[in-house]
Amino acid sequence: MNIQTKHFKIIVPMAILVIASLGFVRPEERSPVLNDSSDINTTNNSKEAEKPMPIYGNWKNYDSKNGLPGDKAYCVKIDGERILVGTHEGLAVLENGKWKTYTTDDGLAHNGVLAIDVDQATGDVWLGTMGGLSRWSTGKFENFNQMNSGMPNDLIYAVTCDEKFVWVATGGGAGSYNTYTRKWEIFTEENAPMHEPWTYGVCASKDKIFIAAWGGGVIEYTKKTKKFRDYVDPDGNMEIDLFPDDGVVHDITTGTSWANDILWVATYFGLSRYDGVHWKGYFDHDSGLASNFINFIKAKDDYAFICTDQGLSCTDGNNWVTYTTNEKTNKGKTIILNGTNKKELGESTSLAHNFILGVDIVGNDIWVATAEGVSHGQLKH
Amino acid sequence: MKSKKVKIFFFVIAFLGLIIFIPGRMFVRHHVNQKTAVTDHPLKCTSCHLYTSKNKIVSNLINEDYYSPFNIAVSNDGKRLFVVAQDTGELLIVDAESKTVVQKVKVGVHPHSVILDKTNAFAYVSNQWSDNISVVNLATSKVLDTLITGNGPSGLALSADGAKLLVVDTYGSDLSVIDLDTKEEMKRLRTGSDPTGTALSPDGKKLYVTSRRSKIVPYGEPLVSDLTQIDATTLRVDEHKDVEEAYMMENITFTPSGDLALMTLIRPKNLIPSIQVEGGWMMTHGIGVIDQNNEGRIIQLLTDQPNAYYSDSFDIVVSPDGKRAYVSNAGADKITVMSVDSIRAIIKETPKEQLKNIANNLGVSSRFVIDRISTGANPKGLALSPDGKKLYIAEQLEDKIGVLNTETLKMETAIDLGGPTRITVARQGRRLFNNAGHTFQNQYACYTCHPDNHEDGLVYNMAGKDMGRNVTNTQSLREIGDTPPFKWNGKNQTIYKQDGMRFSTVLTRTEQFSYDDLDAITAYIKRGIKYPPNLMYNPHGKLTESQLRGKEIYNRTKDNSGNVIPENNRCYTCHPAPLYSNLQPADVSTLAVSDDSILFDTPHLGNIYASPPYLHDGRAATLEEIWTIYGEDNKHGYVNDLTKMQLNDLIDYLKSLGGPEQEDEGYQEQQTASF
Repeated sequence: MNIQTKHFKIIVPMAILVIASLGFVRPEERSPVLNDSSDINTTNNSKEAEKPMPIYGNWKNYDSKNGLPGDKAYCVKIDGERILVGTHEGLAVLENGKWKTYTTDDGLAHNGVLAIDVDQATGDVWLGTMGGLSRWSTGKFENFNQMNSGMPNDLIYAVTCDEKFVWVATGGGAGSYNTYTRKWEIFTEENAPMHEPWTYGVCASKDKIFIAAWGGGVIEYTKKTKKFRDYVDPDGNMEIDLFPDDGVVHDITTGTSWANDILWVATYFGLSRYDGVHWKGYFDHDSGLASNFINFIKAKDDYAFICTDQGLSCTDGNNWVTYTTNEKTNKGKTIILNGTNKKELGESTSLAHNFILGVDIVGNDIWVATAEGVSHGQLKH
Repeated sequence: MKSKKVKIFFFVIAFLGLIIFIPGRMFVRHHVNQKTAVTDHPLKCTSCHLYTSKNKIVSNLINEDYYSPFNIAVSNDGKRLFVVAQDTGELLIVDAESKTVVQKVKVGVHPHSVILDKTNAFAYVSNQWSDNISVVNLATSKVLDTLITGNGPSGLALSADGAKLLVVDTYGSDLSVIDLDTKEEMKRLRTGSDPTGTALSPDGKKLYVTSRRSKIVPYGEPLVSDLTQIDATTLRVDEHKDVEEAYMMENITFTPSGDLALMTLIRPKNLIPSIQVEGGWMMTHGIGVIDQNNEGRIIQLLTDQPNAYYSDSFDIVVSPDGKRAYVSNAGADKITVMSVDSIRAIIKETPKEQLKNIANNLGVSSRFVIDRISTGANPKGLALSPDGKKLYIAEQLEDKIGVLNTETLKMETAIDLGGPTRITVARQGRRLFNNAGHTFQNQYACYTCHPDNHEDGLVYNMAGKDMGRNVTNTQSLREIGDTPPFKWNGKNQTIYKQDGMRFSTVLTRTEQFSYDDLDAITAYIKRGIKYPPNLMYNPHGKLTESQLRGKEIYNRTKDNSGNVIPENNRCYTCHPAPLYSNLQPADVSTLAVSDDSILFDTPHLGNIYASPPYLHDGRAATLEEIWTIYGEDNKHGYVNDLTKMQLNDLIDYLKSLGGPEQEDEGYQEQQTASF
């Protein structure tokens, strides 16, 4: 009996040490941040590592020479059989193999289309532009702006449809529009933990909304309680990420995206991943990330697609695939980083440009918005 | 001696009587003139002291509770009628053979429509003023369930498989899709403005929703309304079809073969001076034909004749053999019987380029109208027996179901629902309000521009007497009884004046109302028109946090910098509770160059959320625009210091405003009309 007790005295502290070193935290001690009522699919990195990263290729590019109204594409959205591209010269739509452009002459709020989302229940397309929000339904535009509605600001960087609500991230705060009551709510530094009213991204999980607020990190809004909390860089250093993985890598955030219970946060200074317990930071110098300067992020299932100024990266948190183009030769390069194994594949086709502004993925298709047009890739393996 | 005394006595009495009578009469004349704002109204105390009394006891004594049947459904075997009694909030189950009411089922507030499922096991009743559907078990005649809908449910349809209930939300301007398994609303689809009618194509693939109000367009542009086409399989909107220069598409139906969809409509001429009604064409009434074989093109045909109008087309049904269509002309107390084959022939024979022009051809009706059948007062919903031999007509203000023998085209004995036999003064007023008989050639009723006693959302050229055009936005008539003066310029101090000689001179171009009729219509307008409950913005009479903040702004005396706002530039000064109007004229600097030089009557703000566009000429499409675009000089309230969030709060509060009852009692308890 004495022996057993003695063993306990050794085993228990050791077990605690081992568990602590693994970073294990009991579920009830977890922050409620991402505790959605949906089933939590706890990330199993070792399992994901075994799962091969998707590789896309066979790029086909579209610009002003073959269908787009202009070269600069801000965003792209796959909507069933059609592709919606927000350009500086209007909304370009690829349907049945043909491009058609919609502009202010057709009723669009502004030709600079910065964000697109589709309400899956109604099929309505919501377009965030430089001059207001457009609802595009059956070919007709209904426009909301700061003069004719309660919308916070006309400069709309991001749009997300979430059940009966449409959320926008604008230059004057975030806003939510209740499509049932036709009522807007505005969230700024006056009523939410933001430093400034400038918001760049917004995404939804089942129970929460995540807003990328310039200088304010990530603003989390719980739908049920209508309460906010913020996630800022704990080290408070604007130049470097002083303490790794202590929180979001930087307070200046440019986008948020949520999938499979993981929140991905884009900044101009790196990438952050949050599983509800731990933050993890990624930089171009310590991961496969193409660049720390991230314009947009899109999470899809287990992967995040990261739009940077130096190419498109995709990660599951451990492994990376980055797509770049040689802008002189127009040859593509696919860089695969699997653990510590790095492999580069040459491609005869490539993305239209390395300055990536938007991405969308459905099935085997990926569409990428760049500064020089949109690119369509297909899943190779 | 005795005789002399008697003579003296009578002389004294007569003398005293004269002394009292002459000045007394003068006093009464003066009093009546003052109260009616006209000089010719009979000296009848009852006009004001009885018919428009607000005393509940008096009101109950002089008024009655009518059923006011609105819509009908017929059972598969034709033996039962299901009648929506709008004013009592009941579904009346009628034995068609004995023509008697056999059951009364209490449903929600102000029910609108009823449909039956395929097996006739259930009836679904849309309750427009309680935002729900009563599911009635027809075996037990009990309400089995209540389904929550959007705002102001009206027209109903069932999906082809019977699994989804499709509910038109009139006030919300959308369509609720309700899963009948889960009894939950799955989604809402945006429709046109103020929709009511809906119809599913015979193949179950396509659903139409008609709207009643035009889209908001700047004055000078022709109105255009929305016909929403929904893919009934995916339950997504397929198309928003433009119906040009028409509105008030109350109802729609398909032919049995599905080659045509037919809807009722009105073609108003709001851009021409309204005083030229005697020239015809102020308001024209007809149908829209949606040609399914030609990509759903819409052809409009007037059912009016060159010298006779059949106003306020409401419902439309097509006989089972697809040969005839029947339209209820609610403002003319008529049923128009039409040949569908003739309509097909007109569409086929008319060159495409002429089909648009035919929409204004008053003579074309002679080519497809078979007959006009007189009905009881205010025919609304229609339903055909399964064999098509009987047409049942909801005679709303007759409290009866009219029965038309479609073979002889003769009316049979109506079904008396058992309502009051007495026609009260206010009920007579309601009949007048809804009847076009007092307008030149029956072109329109009060209801035509004030559907649901509200307003039609259009801006009219009222042709001022000075140099101006006086382009004015139609005002709501709900709860206006205590908010004199009337009109945008406040020139009519009373409804007696508004609807008296001036009314007939300017608008109807006929003999003015008799004094009895004037009393009646005044009684109805002053006391019979209630607000629908504000279930979207103030469902429980308790303000939200945003609305409370907005109320503070509404009542503020200092701006955001702490400076005192001049008293005449505060919201509550001109719009004080409970009426939200000080009943005084004001200059809010929105007079247009085309207007006569006037001050504006300060409008009340009750249910203001339901009255876009705003300002006297409708220039503001939304409440926001009143202050963001048209309030730059701070003359329509001091607002330019407000942040966007504060303005949102203020508008949120304004949208919460109901009538005086809400302000007094803190809860907007609704009552069914009893007029």
